[in-house]
Amino acid sequence: MITQISAIGRTTRTIVEPIGSGARFVRDVFLAARDVRSWVPEFSTHARILGVESLPIGIFIALFTGIVLALLASYSVGDIVPPYFVGTLVQKTVTLELAPVLTGLALAGRVGANIAAELGTMRVTEQIDALETLTFDPMSHLVVPRVVASAAMFPIVVGVAMLVGMVSGWAASLLLLDISTPQFLKGVRIFFTSFDVRYGLVKSASFGAAVALIGCRAGLTTQGGAQGVGRSATRAVVISAVMILVLDAFWAIVWLTNRTLK
Amino acid sequence: MTTNKRASDFVVGLTVLLVVVVLIASTLWLKQADLGGRTKHITVRSRDVGGVALGNPVVIRGVRAGRVEQIALGDNDWVVLRLGFDREIELPNDPVVLLTASSLFGEWQATVTSRDGVPPDKVLKAAIEEARTSGDTLAGAVLPDIAQLTAVAGRISGDVAQVAERVQVAFDDAAARELRESIRNFARLSSELARTVNAQSKNLDKISANVQTGLVTINDAATRLNTFSGRIDSATSRGELQTIVNNSQNAARELVQAAQNLKALTDRLDRTESNLASAVARADSVFAKANSRDGTMGLMINDPGLYRQSDSLVRELRSLVADMKKNPKRYINVRVF
Repeated sequence: MITQISAIGRTTRTIVEPIGSGARFVRDVFLAARDVRSWVPEFSTHARILGVESLPIGIFIALFTGIVLALLASYSVGDIVPPYFVGTLVQKTVTLELAPVLTGLALAGRVGANIAAELGTMRVTEQIDALETLTFDPMSHLVVPRVVASAAMFPIVVGVAMLVGMVSGWAASLLLLDISTPQFLKGVRIFFTSFDVRYGLVKSASFGAAVALIGCRAGLTTQGGAQGVGRSATRAVVISAVMILVLDAFWAIVWLTNRTLK
Repeated sequence: MTTNKRASDFVVGLTVLLVVVVLIASTLWLKQADLGGRTKHITVRSRDVGGVALGNPVVIRGVRAGRVEQIALGDNDWVVLRLGFDREIELPNDPVVLLTASSLFGEWQATVTSRDGVPPDKVLKAAIEEARTSGDTLAGAVLPDIAQLTAVAGRISGDVAQVAERVQVAFDDAAARELRESIRNFARLSSELARTVNAQSKNLDKISANVQTGLVTINDAATRLNTFSGRIDSATSRGELQTIVNNSQNAARELVQAAQNLKALTDRLDRTESNLASAVARADSVFAKANSRDGTMGLMINDPGLYRQSDSLVRELRSLVADMKKNPKRYINVRVF
């Protein structure tokens, strides 16, 4: 009986412990963020690595997403609706959902794995221990600049992806679907609101912060040698992808429930 | 390291600036924001806005001329809309705004038209009149969209279905038999009717020939009438008709005078007749007395002896006169002193 109760307790602790340790980690990051002089010098380096160098991936994804969306819209609605609704569908889908989520998933693989592998390697090679020995706070020197850079640069990458997705959707409509530019623009403008862009950018910022936090925690908790680094990178990518979808649903519930275009 | 950090700063800063500028510019362009102040605004009030939303197009004579920029609830149950136009666009005379569905897919638009261009619908015109103001605010009204029309159509189709159901109930086997019998009767009736028509068609031919003849006659009469009217027209134009009318008036006056004279003559004749009747009555009385052999006259008329005596007297008087002519001195002796 005591053994069974202990088993239930262990299971519960196994489930709840990551949540608690994750919450503590987030709290520590916020506390370390107050040490501005420690992380600001590192910000631009990480912003370049995590953001600027991720632009090609975002552009590549958005380029084909726009083309596919235009063709899918035309295929799905056919002659039922006027052709300019292809523009509407491309604009709404790209700005509200696909640019943030697809780019976020792609960057989760690149950025999350990058951060986890980098910090994991530092952990297993005891560089972080050395920093701690020299009284450098690894949170403010290693985690905060990555989280801030990721949260700041994800919207930039997603913004570019929005523009590229729209342009590629327009090009596909013009070249493959015989939809004229005024028709496509009419469809884009007819239901366009600035909220669409704000929603996508805010969502992508939360994705960036989540991916960086998960990657940093996975890296800092790495154990073992090279295998441990690989496991941390994999875990960071998987959890980041799941968290992106969870946050996507969260923002939809928070901002889109009971909200209409009017 | 410092060079790398500086390069990173520049690259990141440039990227952020570029993306932010392009994003803001794209958003403003898609929202068709009024950056140069080239937009003029008009205010519209309406009881309802239907499905009109912010950003919906404003159309003048079918051409997109602006967009709906603001929708707000106003006083006294009004809804106030603000429409933005290009400053160079001229509104129609006496403008009103109709809020209409522009397609079947939930798109709405605000159509600016002149008051004369409002569809002839009493309810719509009443709504426009109610929303009119003396100021710059334009009157607006909502045209029923396809959803309302389909709702009405739905009710109508429901009624039709009920009627069809009732017809189905009423149209049983007995009704079908009666209908078949009616069709047979109708077929017989139509064949008889065809025979009758065939027989009557000959009469109709004759009648039509007569009618044609009559028409020719009428045509001749019309020609003569036309000639006559032409003469009248020419007479009218020369003043002869006026003369005729004047003569007719004179003749009528003379006829009136003659009638008055005739009346006076008739009155006199009446009096003469009564006098004559009285004279005749008296003569009759005299003749009656004469005929009754009473008195001298009666005896003279009715007594032959008296006639003979009188005749004898006359002869004697003639002989006496002859004798007096022959021997006047025998009877007449004139002396002086």
